Amino acid sequence: MQIIIDKVKCEAKLGETLLTIARRNNIHIPTLCHSDALAGQGNCRMCMVEVSEGKTKKMVASCIYPVTKSIEVITNSETLTKMRKTLVMLLSARVPHNNTILKLRQEYNLPPVTRFKSDDEEECILCGLCTRACDEMGISAISTVNRGINKKVSTPFEEPSTVCIGCGACAHVCPTGAIKIEDIGEERIIWEKSFELLRCSNCGKPFITRVGFEYIKNKINTEIETVCENCRKDAITKKLRDIYGF
Amino acid sequence: MKNQSMRINKILVCCGPGCLSNDSLDIYEALKNKIESDKPYISIETTVKATGCHGFCEIGPLIKFLPLDFFYCNVKVSDVEEIYQKTIKNGEIIERLLYHDQNSNQKIKSPEEAGFYKGQKKIALRNVGEIDPLSIDDYMKRGGYKALKKALLKSTTEQIISEVEESGLRGRGGAGFPTGFKWRQCAQMQNFPKYIICNGDEGDPGAFMDRSILEGDPHSIIEGMVIGAYAVDSHSGFMYIRDEYFLAIKNMTKALEQARNYGYLGQDILGSGYDFDIQIVRGGGAFVCGESTALMASIEGRVGEPRAKYIRSVEKGLWDKPTVLNNVETWANIPVIINEGASRFKSIGTAQSPGTKVFSLVGKVKNTGLIEVPMGMTLRQIIYDIGGGIALNKKFKAVQTGGPSGGCIPEQLLDLKVDFDSLDKAGSMMGSGGMIVMDETTCMVDVAKYYLAFLSEESCGKCVPCREGIRRILVILEDICNGRAQDEDLDLLIEICETVQATALCGLGKTAPNPVITTIKYFKDEYIAHIRDKRCPAGVCKELTIYSIDKDKCKSCGLCAKNCPSSAIKQEQSKIFTIDQTKCTKCGACVDICNFHAVKIGGALACR
Amino acid sequence: MENQQDFQYTRQISQQYPQDKRFLLAILQDIQKEYNYLPRESLYMVQEYMDIPLAKLYSMATFYKALSLKPKGRYIIKVCDGTACHIRASQTLTDEISKILKIAPGQTTSDGRFSLETVNCLGSCAAAPVIVVNDRFYGKVTPSMVKTIIDEYGGIYS
Ligand SMILES: Cc1cc2nc3c(=O)[nH]c(=O)nc-3n(C[C@H](O)[C@H](O)[C@H](O)COP(=O)(O)O)c2cc1C
Ligand code: SF4
Ligand code: FES
Repeated sequence: MQIIIDKVKCEAKLGETLLTIARRNNIHIPTLCHSDALAGQGNCRMCMVEVSEGKTKKMVASCIYPVTKSIEVITNSETLTKMRKTLVMLLSARVPHNNTILKLRQEYNLPPVTRFKSDDEEECILCGLCTRACDEMGISAISTVNRGINKKVSTPFEEPSTVCIGCGACAHVCPTGAIKIEDIGEERIIWEKSFELLRCSNCGKPFITRVGFEYIKNKINTEIETVCENCRKDAITKKLRDIYGF
Repeated sequence: MKNQSMRINKILVCCGPGCLSNDSLDIYEALKNKIESDKPYISIETTVKATGCHGFCEIGPLIKFLPLDFFYCNVKVSDVEEIYQKTIKNGEIIERLLYHDQNSNQKIKSPEEAGFYKGQKKIALRNVGEIDPLSIDDYMKRGGYKALKKALLKSTTEQIISEVEESGLRGRGGAGFPTGFKWRQCAQMQNFPKYIICNGDEGDPGAFMDRSILEGDPHSIIEGMVIGAYAVDSHSGFMYIRDEYFLAIKNMTKALEQARNYGYLGQDILGSGYDFDIQIVRGGGAFVCGESTALMASIEGRVGEPRAKYIRSVEKGLWDKPTVLNNVETWANIPVIINEGASRFKSIGTAQSPGTKVFSLVGKVKNTGLIEVPMGMTLRQIIYDIGGGIALNKKFKAVQTGGPSGGCIPEQLLDLKVDFDSLDKAGSMMGSGGMIVMDETTCMVDVAKYYLAFLSEESCGKCVPCREGIRRILVILEDICNGRAQDEDLDLLIEICETVQATALCGLGKTAPNPVITTIKYFKDEYIAHIRDKRCPAGVCKELTIYSIDKDKCKSCGLCAKNCPSSAIKQEQSKIFTIDQTKCTKCGACVDICNFHAVKIGGALACR
Repeated sequence: MENQQDFQYTRQISQQYPQDKRFLLAILQDIQKEYNYLPRESLYMVQEYMDIPLAKLYSMATFYKALSLKPKGRYIIKVCDGTACHIRASQTLTDEISKILKIAPGQTTSDGRFSLETVNCLGSCAAAPVIVVNDRFYGKVTPSMVKTIIDEYGGIYS
């Protein structure tokens, strides 16, 4: 199937999202709540594009819109830019000092938002990626709490979680760096809970929490080595080198 | 005399939401006890029934007498003895309990004579107020479950779907989506199991139509759902009912049981070999759960957050299976369409919006209540003919339809026809059927603020435009009402509204700006008065309102001082009463109580 | 010891339902009805019974208005703020009650006797503005009636 994005003809498979197709064709669509690993959020609405199907034209979120027939798509009309500007303005009002949003604001040539009272400490835009990541880990230590304008992300009762393994997946996917993760020596603090870090048996760098390590071991039900990601990659490269001699 | 008394054989006591709050259940019990206890001595075959809403809530509690067909209003428990002695035993009409129509200045006996009932046409409400909702026999006596027999035993599924398509029935839950088309799409899916859902969440904060049907005629909904389920080949249905509607849940539970016992529900329905059953799910108290995908999430046991509907529910709905979701009133229409045929149905209403619509007509209108009218009736007819005009003969200002998703319609559009498309065009929408009449003492900015405050709590908070947008729109509206807003704020307001409309994920967010956009469109001068003159013309926004006593009109009766809950009104030596502005909370008690209209509502506060 | 009893009821309530996620809301609603709120211990029990992460329960408990994590007062005063009541000045009633009880909507007096809530449409729009104390209705309420109504329930202790 073929679709047209910004006048460019693009190949598309049935059910693929518009965003996937656009990215494959190097067409830029801004996103905040999208992650390839955790697709399907549709929360930030930055990725809205205009889709024309015959005479009807509608605005859709490209990160979740599945292509089912040949359509024509526009990703950067004047209306879209205006909408995105307003969205960035609203986000800036929410997280006035966050770097990700600050950059975005400058990109869209917007002045600082002074009209509204903001919470200076706030960094979270509630994209929803962290809770998804935690769910995917099979832990669900955090969730969204409340609804409407009072929605936020937290652990149950806003107390240190009893199930969190300190893996840091949430902080890793966070687009705005709102989740604080602190590694000091052999201690990690995340969500106000402290964890013991294990050192890599190869390079000696602390790389995983003890509970996290145990959790993974139990989950895959095999013994694993305490080797950090880098060293493991190195080991594989080394092995390849040994085998193929390059 | 005696002959006459024989003629009253049925007494219908309204136990709808309005009358219940005025002790109608006690009246019913008292009447029943009276008749029961006298039965051995006198030979009257009179039955008393507690029914669903009769509609005319304004003058409740209501009692209707059949077959003579007259009704009493504003009945009190203390009237029961007299009603029993005079009316029930002797067939005598008690003049004092008849309805006094202010507009025609007449005592009215039969509902047909009352302006309130005259223009109405009952389809969805056909049995509400006429039957005991707990009696399946009552329902059947009025033709209930005939349509089910016709559908299951004499029709093909194709015939049923065609009939509904042909009727032009559009969903009564708000958007007006063609019901037959929805069913057809679902019927075509070859993915099982399929599900049927009745949306009885009714979260609109000014509406009680669905509640009245759920409470007053539960079987009509069940019958509709079984027919729909059969047509699309589903074996499992859910009824999502607002948790606060405990009477609805109780009556529905009973009705489902009865239907099963009679073989209209459950296994091998009517011996046709077809199985279908319905479970009740209590809502969790969230307006957004009225939205179809959020409702499904809620049934699945999750937080009620909507999802994008790029893949429709008829394909992937509840548990990702093909699902038909319809509103309470939509389901209640189905048996009538099957029984009487599509062309009969189409002959009512307009070409694009056939049939009738139930509204809860409330606010500053004389006759508040539950009404059902043919589509295409004008707002003016509804408000003035049925509603009897504006209460206290004040001046009409606007009518709000569609609840938090709808808009305010001004006087110049009073001749607008009420149907899906005309309301949309005016910037409002049909919604589920709340119709709130506002007069000159209603502040339109305050109304917009009210809805946005509601939505700020009721939005699920998942997507950015809805959550952040509504939050900021609300801030601006609050500032306007407090006299702290600037001219530029109006443009900012519109900018945010447009973005929220265009980019929000679900219907809640997409329609959330409607109350703001329509009030700006039709009542811009009120916004300007708040922003520039720091004045609330309706005297509602407290920060912009000052109450004072007009020396010339004050008769020094002291009633206001007695009724002021804040003790802000004092008598000076000169005998004149004055209001201490530091104590006044602007509750308006003095304005309401003064018989001489001596309390003035003034505007203009110094800008802060 | 009271906690022991808590466990008992919660267990009974949960076990009326199959261990299927879709009954979660119903279980929580029943617990809410029993205790007037969701006690922490109950949530832990439901978590165990349903094998669902606590975070999901907490998320539900804070999302749905029918559920509450805080104990409510013996008398729950609900001021209807449906549209019809709103335009007939229900806000002034809320203000007046707030002033008398010294609590904001959503709060409970420190002696645990009164809770003040605003609710959306009680379906009695004809009698607007309406307030409900526990299950008793009061229609066409004016600010000056408020104190008398509260006094019916023992008034405030000073
Ligand atoms: C925020 C929101 C709230 C809604 N609330 C209700 C409701 O309370 N009752 C209802 O029947 N439909 C409600 N709807 C409409 C439903 O999503 C859905 O369109 C409707 O129930 C479909 O049934 P129908 O085709 O019979 O109208 C709501 C929609 C939105 C966006
Ligand atoms: S529009 Fe509002 S209610 Fe709908 S998904 Fe977005 S935040 Fe939730
Ligand atoms: S990236 Fe599509 S909505 Fe956020």
